[in-house]
This record gives sequence, structure tokens and C-alpha cells, in this order.
Amino acid sequence: MKFDVVIIGGGWAGRTAAGRLAGAGLRVCIVSEGLSLAVVHDKAPYSCLADLQNKGVTVLRGDRAVEGIIAGDRVSAVLTRNLGKEMPLEADTFILATGKFFSRGLLSDMTHIWEPVFGADVAYDADRTKWADPEFSFHQPFMDFGVRTDKAGHVLVSGRPVMNLYAAGEILAAGSKEFDTDSFIEEYEHRIG
Amino acid sequence: MLKEYDVIIIGGGITGAATLRDCALRGLSCLLIERGDICDGASGRNHGLLHSGARYAVTDREGAEECIRENRILRKIASNCVEQTEGLFISLPEDGLDYQAIFIQKCHEAGIDAQAIDPVEALRLEPAINPRIIGAVKVPDAAVDPFRLVDAHILDARRHGADILKFTAVASLVKENGRVVGVRTSKGDAIRGRVVVLAAGIWTAGLAREAGVNIGMMPSKGSLIIFGHRVANHVINRCRKPANADILVPGDVVSVLGTTSDKVPIETCDDMHATPQEVELLLREGEQLVPSLAHTRIIRAYAGVRPLVVADPAGDGRNVSRGIVLLDHETRDGVPGLITITGGKLTTARLMAEMATDLVCEKLGLTARCETATRCLPGSEGRKPQFMDPFNIRAAIGRHGEEVSRMDFDNGGEIVCECEQVTRAEIAYAVREFGVRNVSDLRRHTRIGMGTCQGSFCIKKVAKVLAGELGVDPEGLVLDYLQERWKGMTPVLWGDTLREAEYMLKVNRNEI
Repeated sequence: MKFDVVIIGGGWAGRTAAGRLAGAGLRVCIVSEGLSLAVVHDKAPYSCLADLQNKGVTVLRGDRAVEGIIAGDRVSAVLTRNLGKEMPLEADTFILATGKFFSRGLLSDMTHIWEPVFGADVAYDADRTKWADPEFSFHQPFMDFGVRTDKAGHVLVSGRPVMNLYAAGEILAAGSKEFDTDSFIEEYEHRIG
Repeated sequence: MLKEYDVIIIGGGITGAATLRDCALRGLSCLLIERGDICDGASGRNHGLLHSGARYAVTDREGAEECIRENRILRKIASNCVEQTEGLFISLPEDGLDYQAIFIQKCHEAGIDAQAIDPVEALRLEPAINPRIIGAVKVPDAAVDPFRLVDAHILDARRHGADILKFTAVASLVKENGRVVGVRTSKGDAIRGRVVVLAAGIWTAGLAREAGVNIGMMPSKGSLIIFGHRVANHVINRCRKPANADILVPGDVVSVLGTTSDKVPIETCDDMHATPQEVELLLREGEQLVPSLAHTRIIRAYAGVRPLVVADPAGDGRNVSRGIVLLDHETRDGVPGLITITGGKLTTARLMAEMATDLVCEKLGLTARCETATRCLPGSEGRKPQFMDPFNIRAAIGRHGEEVSRMDFDNGGEIVCECEQVTRAEIAYAVREFGVRNVSDLRRHTRIGMGTCQGSFCIKKVAKVLAGELGVDPEGLVLDYLQERWKGMTPVLWGDTLREAEYMLKVNRNEI
């Protein structure tokens, strides 16, 4: 299946991007495993999945991206749990919007934190004792952890930017650049004239 | 003019509470003073293990005999606090079976029913234990809820006339002509007592020093981890010389792994928490008992302090066992009116109380007999409450036994804490019976917020209900409680615990 944009993650960041991109005429697919924290707690604005479908978005409900295939400096496809290898999701652009720890956008063990779909570079403190502040009400360092991007917003994998992979929402590390929907749509409209 | 008591007991842990109950049952007028809440110290920060004595059989025969005697007594008098899980001592190839042979023999010598069972049978009983085992021994270990046990003692003491003064520190012991005649509280009140009993765990040494008495105490820190699942139904021990992290105890729906054992400076005892290094050690060893612990969600880590007493230099301190230490400061230090009861274990606290109360009676010239070995505690009297048993009351019956007859479920049957199924009626009961200042206090008496979500979901509801009972601001209750939970989560903050931390943070700091 080939799309203009595949969005991985059906939380508020993924849904918001999906709604706007589809509204601009792009062929969009969104992989939405389940309810995210922000959606459960009614953070606005977001679109419900049925609205997205009405806008022509292909919604893969209850599915999860398990592997991103990177060839050279580009993602060629994403494999999902339900569609498997037989039906890779192909697209010109991929947006990673799987959130932080709660939504399993980032996984961790006693010593490491990693991003499971693309193996994207994750910014975090190597010293686990510094992941949290002992004061609950203070700023918590682990909330700054997340995937790294270059200045243009390309997600870094093994230190190198992947030119068609962007990130949106909570999965981003503090200081990384979020996928810029406005510029992306502007560029798209310019390209199709 | 404040009341004069026969006995003033300092310390609201299991030792103080059991001593208070014994004194009250013997007809003494008595007061317990506790600087914080009941069960604030080591009594609320332990394994919840009712020892059979097997763990001590090889190294401490006397301690082992005390344990098995008290184990049998508590199963009867505190049936509602004890879960009769039984225990397994497992041998791994690196442990060999030589120790097992000595272990079984020593258990039998101490009167502990220890039976070797086939490793295949052990794995059938407990499929989660390490499949590499080469031997297993079944012993009468059990799980005990320490909060429930202390509360039951407090309730019974009060119903027999004892007074309890919580959230009140003792500033000094009052002496007249070299004799201790009472205490002065941090609020400035002087309260007179004919005998003062120090039962303040590791904090005993500092209080004694106030009266010019030196007790050499060695704080020994023990850290533990709570897992969010009940991975085994028996208490699982390693059959080897006692070491770090070799006991796993089931408790309600969780499992507790511990402990470490490290000498710590006495100044650190007021702020105990498990460190990431201790957690790593616990996990490394715990995985040898039950391999799946490596992947089991951790709820939190915590630490308590054992009040160990260094060998009494005077040598006349009634040091009746290597565990229990009863000091008569009249004969030992020339300070009449003062007694110390310390050392020991949660399992042997009733015996410690009996010994301390015997000495109190001797000092007061009384001959009243101890009844605590046969008299059941409130909640364990075996009178099954007559309810239709709807599900929202079942958990409360499990926690409080026939005490639920004092809860008004008709006007407060709604569940507030989902994990532990605590109703508004139970909160009102805890406020009424125990007096609480905050949610942490409430937790000790109801298990509120102790479950799998650690209060993430319910804390605002709980705070609202409690604030209504206390007439205070709920927002302060929320932050205070989450800070307390945070302390236990930060040493284990990875994997699923980190997932939960993000949730707790966002929902309760309104950051979504």
C-alpha cells in the first residue's frame, strides 16, 4: 500500500497531523494502536478516528508499527503487526508520533532507553539515577528524553538524518525539531501547483 | 494537671502496640506516645513475613524456637492478619545439599516441622521458582500484614482503656531524684508515669541518652522491592546461610523481595529510602529464586531499619536471647522507672511485649497474668459478619474481619480506591478509629493507594473524601501523598514503572 504520508501513532499529535494533511489533499495512513493519555483526558484539539476516515485517511485501528525499513537515508516502508511482511506500508514521508513511555513510543530497561520501530537515536542520561528528580513537583528529567532530529526535523538514526522521517508530539527530545505541518503543506501545494 | 499513668510506652510500632495491649489487658492504666503515625517506622517497612524460625534454625536456636512458638500463637490470635501460605527453602546447584541436611536437622531440634520434598513436587507447587533447583524443604512460614497486626493491637488496647497520643514527640524524659517519673512532650506537656517503657526501635538509643542511659544500637538498613504480581503462593527462601535478597513473600496480590542488610549512620534513619544500587542487588539475587522477576513490573522499593543492639558491655542487661533485648535500667544503670524493650522481630513482638509487661508488673508489685497468647485480636475473633457479601465489602472484610460491623456501608458503600477496593465507609472508620492527618496515614489503616496504581487514578478522589472528613484543603493532601509514592518509585524507574510514572505525573500535575 502506497501513501503520501504514513503516521505512526494515533494520539493527539498523530491525529492532528493526519487531519490537516488529509485536509490539504494528501493520501494519509495512520496506525493507531489504542487510546493515548491525551486522548483519554480529552486534550484538544484532536480529531476522532471516524472524522479522519471521513476525510479519507486510512486508519489502521488496533495495529502497531513493529519495524521501519531504512534503505540508505530514507525509510522505504513500515511493517505492522497485523499486516505483516506481505503488506508493507510505503510512503514518501513517515511521521513518528508514538509518544513517550506510557504509550510505549520509548522503551526502557535498567540501563537503556530505545525507540523500538526505527531504532532512532534517543537523547537520555546514561546515569539512571538522574532520570528523575526526587521532588515529585519539580521538573522531571525523563520528560525531556526522546528521539533526536537534525535542525530540519529529520529523525536521526545512528547519528545520520533519515531524510523522509519526522517526529511529532511527545516522542521528541527537548530541543529536537517537531514536524512542521504548515511548511510541509505549503511545500506540497507549491509542488502540485 | 495531667493524668498519671501506671505505664507510659514510647513508640507506636508493633513492639509498643503489643506492650500497650498487654498492659491494658492486665488492668494497668497506660499511654502510648508516638511521634508520627502508628506503624511509621520499621513495623511498616518490612517483609510482612511470619517466620517459622527455619531461617534462624542453624545460626540461632533460641531465636528459632521463639519464632515457631509465636508463629503458632499469631495464627490463632491474629488469624485475620496472617495468611497461611507456608514456605519453601529451595537449593540451587551452587548451594549444594549439605546445608539442607543440617538445616532440616536443626529445624527439627527447634521444633519446626521441616520436610524435604522432591524438586519436581516443589515445581508443581510453585511453577515460578527457579527450575534449576536440586532440593526443597517445606516449612510453616506465613505472610502477615504488619499494618493490620499493629492496628489490631492498638484497637484492643484502647478498648481496654489504654490511651494513645499520636503525632506527639517525646522531647525528654522527666527525672526526679534520679528516677524517671514521666515524659515531656514536644508540645511542652509533662505526663507522669510510674514506669516508662522505651519501645521506639532504632530511635530508642536517642531517648535513653536523654535519661543518661547508654544503649549501643546499630542501625541495620534493609531494602525491599514490591512487585505488582503475586508470582508465588509460598514464602520462597534460599536454603543456604542467610544472605541478601533471598526471601520472596506473597502479600495480598503482590510479592515482596528482600532484603539487603547494611550498617547505616543513625542520622539517616529518619529518611530511609532504597537506592538504585540496592535495587540492582535485590533483582540480581531475586532472579535466582524466581527468574520471572526480571520481567515482572515493580511497584516500588522501600527500606526500613532493624534496631540491632550491640553486645551489652555491662553484661547484666537481661539479654535473654540474641534477638530480644529487655533492659531494666534500674539494675543496669541505676535509673529506676525506665525499661527498654527492643531487638526482636515482628514475629516475636507479642513475646517481647509479654516480657516487658512482666517486668513492668514486677516494678509495680503486681501479679496480673499475661493473656495475650490466647486472647484473639479484634478482627480475628472468628465471628463472621453477617452481610449479603456484595463485592464492594469483601475486601474490607478481608482487611478488618468483624470490625466491618463498625462501618456504615449503607451511607458510604461506594468504592474510592479501585485497586484495593476501599469504600468511603472504610475511610470514615479509619479516621474515626485511628485519627489520620493525611493520605499516607490513611493508607496504613486501609491499604488505600497501596495497589497497582499507587494512587495515580484515585488520589484526587481519596483526597476529596478525606479532606471532607478532616476539613482541610484536598490539593495539599494530593501532593503530599504523591511525593511519598514518588520516593518509592524513583529507585526503580524503568520499564513499566517509568510508564506509570509518566502517567502519574501528567494526570496529577495537569500537564496533558
